[in-house]
Amino acid sequence: MQKQSAIFRALGDPSRLAIFESLAGREAPVKALTARFKITQPAVSQHLAALRKAGLVTVRRDGRMAFYSLNPAGLKPLVDWLAHYRAFWPERVARLGALLKEMD
Amino acid sequence: MPAGDGSIHLSWQLPHPPAKVWRALSDPSLVARWLMETDMPTERGRAFTFRAKPMPHWDGIVHSEILDMDPPRRLSYAWKGGPGNSVLDTVVTWTLVPVDGGTRLELVHSGFKPEHGQAFGGAKFGWERNVGTGLAGVLADMA
Repeated sequence: MQKQSAIFRALGDPSRLAIFESLAGREAPVKALTARFKITQPAVSQHLAALRKAGLVTVRRDGRMAFYSLNPAGLKPLVDWLAHYRAFWPERVARLGALLKEMD
Repeated sequence: MPAGDGSIHLSWQLPHPPAKVWRALSDPSLVARWLMETDMPTERGRAFTFRAKPMPHWDGIVHSEILDMDPPRRLSYAWKGGPGNSVLDTVVTWTLVPVDGGTRLELVHSGFKPEHGQAFGGAKFGWERNVGTGLAGVLADMA
């Protein structure tokens, strides 16, 4: 529950969501993200810190450069949560159908 | 799966009359047999719960309240808590439509937005907008 909330909070900010999505499939240094989103470097760093805290992003250091990339496992709590509701009602109503038969 | 407006819409054809389906939806001892243990009341406004076995992402308790009860046509209750406890504040509405040979049972589970303002809206928007791109790729990797 805590994990889902942290993910929702982290991705609820449009800038953070955009940064997160832009990291899909390719890592990037802070400088590239600053240029891509036209926001200041401290703001980008702050967003990345929030994404890291939520487990959505990882960092790789190479000398003085830091490269950010998605943590593919980071979304798992959210996926589990959505999967639950995708399956929940059809499964329950199947049981309701069985109960109605027994009620005859 | 939440649709674009933050709700799940589903419907089923049941070969049973609305009055009987209504009983299964509103009699706590019957509801316990297909949905969850509950102390669902017969009047609006009183708090009650649905209770299931606790799971890894969920304490098993759904907090509820009857919002609309119009037998045997419409039953609506709050659905708060559930998996992701701190973020779910939703409404479940059942509509029973008499049809030839039984009942069409319609479900709308609406309000998939957390208290934290647009958090879920933002996440979901990203989710749906990015089918085929960013998130979809991440999800595919995880499958």
